Amino acid sequence: MSRDLHTVEGIARVVGVDGATAWLEPEQTSSCGSCASASSCGAGAGAGGIGTVTDRIAARRFSLDNADDLHVGERVVVGVAERALIRAALTAYGLPLVTALTAGGIAESAWASDLATMAAMAAGLVVGLLAAGTVARRLAARGDLAPRFLRISSPFKGGEAGIRDACVAPPQPASCAKPAVGRAAAGRGMGEETGVPSTCHASLTHPLPNPPLEGEGASMTLSIGNSP
Amino acid sequence: MKDFALMMIGAALVNNVILARFLGLCSFMGVTTRIDTAAGMGLATTFVITVSSMADWAVQHWLLDAYGLGYLRTVTFILVIASAVQFTELTIKKVSPALFQMLGIYLPLITTNCAVLGVALLLVEGRMSFLGATLFGFASALGYSLVMVIFAGLRERLALAEVPRLFAGPPLGFIVASLLAMAFMGFSGISTG
Repeated sequence: MSRDLHTVEGIARVVGVDGATAWLEPEQTSSCGSCASASSCGAGAGAGGIGTVTDRIAARRFSLDNADDLHVGERVVVGVAERALIRAALTAYGLPLVTALTAGGIAESAWASDLATMAAMAAGLVVGLLAAGTVARRLAARGDLAPRFLRISSPFKGGEAGIRDACVAPPQPASCAKPAVGRAAAGRGMGEETGVPSTCHASLTHPLPNPPLEGEGASMTLSIGNSP
Repeated sequence: MKDFALMMIGAALVNNVILARFLGLCSFMGVTTRIDTAAGMGLATTFVITVSSMADWAVQHWLLDAYGLGYLRTVTFILVIASAVQFTELTIKKVSPALFQMLGIYLPLITTNCAVLGVALLLVEGRMSFLGATLFGFASALGYSLVMVIFAGLRERLALAEVPRLFAGPPLGFIVASLLAMAFMGFSGISTG
């Protein structure tokens, strides 16, 4: 399926199916949780508790109509319209800012006092946030804010065999670097959807058809990919 | 009014947070692969910078200056910014859970954005009024968002272009960023002319 340039896509995992409704959690982005400080910031695998990334992801659980017969554990690609994201950001952040700054400007010209300006801006911010809530409810009622199911993400083949299959290599036997296996099992360091390891190292023995080599049946070893 | 307008143009374009002061470069390179995500991050940062500018001005005038605690400025401002991010996150979640689901992912990243702290420290040095400080923060954040969106647009075009493999990806991004910074140097003529 071709990628729709006007849709923002993300990968989510099905964590529950309740009749006609499927519950999904957004998958952790590839950059967060794989950095050197993951264990101390709570983004690392297995970290839990209030305020951690795991907790945040659980809080962002959302539901979809299960018309496509999703099953628990499946990785799916969901998307929202690009314009919906911009509209949501303008509603949530732009509207309160405009009301706060307008109220502050009016108060400054009327009283020219820092305290009055501050009070007016705080009141303007509250009014703007309430207005943003109203607009957001209207957008949500129209279904503009709800993510929709696009497709099942390419299944991840675990283990060394899966990585070997995913490697781009000629038909000859190929093997990948061992270190990639551990990261693959944790679901990180992979190409976003394809499941192809970011560092894939394969070597093969390839008989060359042309005669740069001397002797009958001569062969040479080629190396594909990054050096370890 | 004219003073405010000139100050805002200066903060947004002449002394741009990213391209003139070189703050917030991590998000500049990290969140600019698509225009929509760059715009979302820019708007979230604009909101947080403006709200934290208001709070920082109050803390600076009525706490740090009043009690001679200027040496605690950086630590205090970090605390204020973290609180502003938490306030924003909780408020958006309360006002509209649907909006929070869509936008919430950007907010925790802003706490570690050095542009937010940089703007807060700059507005203290400026000795501005409350409205002036808030508008300075708002205009700086608008300049940040503008550069984020421009750079994301350029990177979207570059992703489709055929470039030598050696330069593909981040290397070309850095080269484009340097050209963009040189282009923005042209705005400095406004202040001297």
